[in-house]
Amino acid sequence: MLVLVGHSLRRIRAALIVLGLLLAAFQFLLTQVAAYLMRQNAFGQLAELMPDFVRTAAGPSALGFMSYTGIVALGYFHPVIITALVGLMIAIATEPAGEVETRFVDLTLARPLRRLDVIARTLVVLVLAGGLMLALMVAGTWTGLTCCAPAQAERPSFGLVLSLAFSLATVMACWGGVALAIGSAARRRAVAGAVAGALALAAYLLDYLGRAWEPAFSMSRLSPFHYFEPMTLVMGQAFDARDAAMLLAIALAGTVAGCVTFSRRDI
Amino acid sequence: MVMIGDATPAIRVERLAKRYGRVEALKNVSFDVREGEIMGFLGLNGAGKTTTIRILLDLVRPTAGRAFVFGLDCHTRGLDARARIGYLPGELGFYGDMTGEATLAVLARLSGRAIDMRLQRELLDRLELSPRDLRRRVREYSTGMKRKLGIVQAFQADPPLLILDEPTEGLDPLMQEAVYQLLSDTRRRGRTVFMSSHVLPEVERVCDRIGLVRQGELVLASPVDEVRRLAARSVRVLFNEDVQSSGAAWPEGCEVLELAPRAWSLRVHGALGPLVAMVSSMPVQDIEVREPRLEDVVKRYYRDEAAS
Repeated sequence: MLVLVGHSLRRIRAALIVLGLLLAAFQFLLTQVAAYLMRQNAFGQLAELMPDFVRTAAGPSALGFMSYTGIVALGYFHPVIITALVGLMIAIATEPAGEVETRFVDLTLARPLRRLDVIARTLVVLVLAGGLMLALMVAGTWTGLTCCAPAQAERPSFGLVLSLAFSLATVMACWGGVALAIGSAARRRAVAGAVAGALALAAYLLDYLGRAWEPAFSMSRLSPFHYFEPMTLVMGQAFDARDAAMLLAIALAGTVAGCVTFSRRDI
Repeated sequence: MVMIGDATPAIRVERLAKRYGRVEALKNVSFDVREGEIMGFLGLNGAGKTTTIRILLDLVRPTAGRAFVFGLDCHTRGLDARARIGYLPGELGFYGDMTGEATLAVLARLSGRAIDMRLQRELLDRLELSPRDLRRRVREYSTGMKRKLGIVQAFQADPPLLILDEPTEGLDPLMQEAVYQLLSDTRRRGRTVFMSSHVLPEVERVCDRIGLVRQGELVLASPVDEVRRLAARSVRVLFNEDVQSSGAAWPEGCEVLELAPRAWSLRVHGALGPLVAMVSSMPVQDIEVREPRLEDVVKRYYRDEAAS
């Protein structure tokens, strides 16, 4: 199994390095933006620029966002970052489908390997790649906070940064599990990726709709993104273990479904 | 504990059936492959050859029946069974961005057997894959080079059983010859080979036995010599002067194809003696005999399948 892990990591190492460095740079950049706004005393002006309906819809979190900590934390829930990381998880989790499609799996599974080894390899790569991305993001944030934070700024604690990263990790794990379940049953990687991606997009939009439009709130519980509440952490509330448990449960269910499907299917 | 010895066939397939929806890919197929022999597995496209091979590798699960490799159930003891197999797929799924060297290295590490580097070097030399070739990315390889790389990865761990799907497809005649020689040496070292092929002269040359599948059913499983004997010999009798057929009864097993004044074309099942005795009093100039070929029998089965 370790041979397969090494093989997979070697194949995606360039993409991982580039994406990781970009994410770290983005986090570092956000600390610089926050420091600039702090020095310019611009948070109040920014809050005033916010339309009333947005402020009403966002509630107290709008004010939390218009702060040094809010800007620094933005990288842990920005839609582009979420898209990149969920996309990465989907790309990795659909590797079994890709290997069935290219027939590489014929060469590996004709050897003394269990089918579960193929899935376990994918899980290990998901954890390592996701962990690396988050570690680089945290490093980018922490480097920026350590070297360039204004003296008067109320810097977010390391615990808060880690909580934000863990919260993001649960979303990544959730979509990794869903994509693994789909990728274990599919014959084509593009199809598996497209289905998982479309599901993620629909779930994101459903959650957004639920937050913006009261009647859709109950429906938004169906979206995994409903259980991703990073702004509550920025606002100083404690980490909600139930939300994390829900997302990790989806990840686990997807993984189990993937294992069972891949073990039983014809290849 | 599974004993591996003379009594245990290298491959045993028992009443194997596979259904894909309404399509029956295999119907009640049973056969054995003895240790140390080369068995050719023949059939038209879609006859069920690849499905059988994939069941042996546990890539496909049978609807009914069982398959064994050296007495090990291919599903319940698949790991142990596959540890004894070297496999050359019909469609090679190499990653184009990997070099040939890296591909062989990864697949060697996954094989669960120590690789004898001398054997690998010998294989590479025989198939004329140079170190320079191996340093190139597989996407730059020709079809033939990919097939050669596939052959090396199947043989490099020196497994006791080789399952080869169309081993010479895409190879030039010289390389085909090298593969035949390799197969012959492999058998000499006591290894077993189970191969599918469309090239009948190749099967006739290298295989000890053949199995023929037709529409999912095994219709023939016999030594090549016996199969060949199922076909008639072509005989052409040439005369010095014009002769007339006497009208006497032809010997048993003789089938007349054409009777010209100075040449008779016949097909003869069984011994030639009675025919020779019949023409001995005639002005015979020459008798040409073409031995029956495997192709003659197999093509007859193929034609029957196409007709049905």
